[in-house]
Amino acid sequence: MIDRHHGWNKSFKPLFIGLTISLILTMAAYHIVTRHHLPPTLLMWTLLTLAFGQVVFQFIFYFHMGLEEKPTWGTYSLYFVIAILIIIIGGSIWIMSNLKYNTMPGG
Amino acid sequence: MEASNPEQYPDTHHDTYSKTLFGFWLYLMTDFILFGSLFAIWAVLRNNTFGGPGSQDLFSLSWNLFQTFLLMFASFTGGVGGAYAHRNEKNRCLSWFLITAALGIGFLIMQTMEFARLIEAGHTWKGSGFLSAFFTLVGTFWAHIIFAVLFTFIIIWPVWRGDRDIGLRNLTRLTCLRQFWQFLFVVWIFIFTIVYLLGAK
Repeated sequence: MIDRHHGWNKSFKPLFIGLTISLILTMAAYHIVTRHHLPPTLLMWTLLTLAFGQVVFQFIFYFHMGLEEKPTWGTYSLYFVIAILIIIIGGSIWIMSNLKYNTMPGG
Repeated sequence: MEASNPEQYPDTHHDTYSKTLFGFWLYLMTDFILFGSLFAIWAVLRNNTFGGPGSQDLFSLSWNLFQTFLLMFASFTGGVGGAYAHRNEKNRCLSWFLITAALGIGFLIMQTMEFARLIEAGHTWKGSGFLSAFFTLVGTFWAHIIFAVLFTFIIIWPVWRGDRDIGLRNLTRLTCLRQFWQFLFVVWIFIFTIVYLLGAK
């Protein structure tokens, strides 16, 4: 799946870029939690954005996503899994946070 | 990106290489679904502390930050080992994968110490819904790291014993190994952020 990209497989450059981005984003998240006092909702979205950003860069620089030969089955399967994860995680949180409301009489 | 050159060693256009890597990628995708369901459990149960300690009281963030660095560098050194495998430099490839395994063992020791500290203080998985979710999610990850370390030694052993050329069969395996370490770091990013950083507040 990453057949044609001998360059990406052999090169150290994407690895250094990925490592640097990971270091910066991890330290940023750690400092936001330990040094600053953000309101809980803002804190949650900031940290989740940093984590997802870090993962996107990992997928590009370490897994070479989107650089495969067509048809890009690897990328398609990743999109499919993301859809499944949104359903499982989002659905669980949604259902369980409404549990009391839906099961309590008069609630 | 270099243009593909059929005379380049080794010929990764060969079918088994791309099919094996695609199969391994699909395995990693299903493992994401496993961890995703454990994260869903965590999200639902994280506040059900049953009067016991919550996530604010139990974790030491600097400890977990150090674990993050260990896995971050394991993912990086695994990548370097994989790149040397593609360059057919056997000894460098083996050394970098040994560093990866050592970093993984370091992580295992730190994670085991954290579990031991919690259990010693009486906070086992029987304590509350929160602790059950925590031990299930992080324990599953811990087990993955044990298998990753074993996987590393099992895969580099025949390379070490083999010819000076790494060969296509071993190259395929080493590339899967590299991807496994990088996958584990991606999962850890979410554990560090969602369980530890967000749990600390």
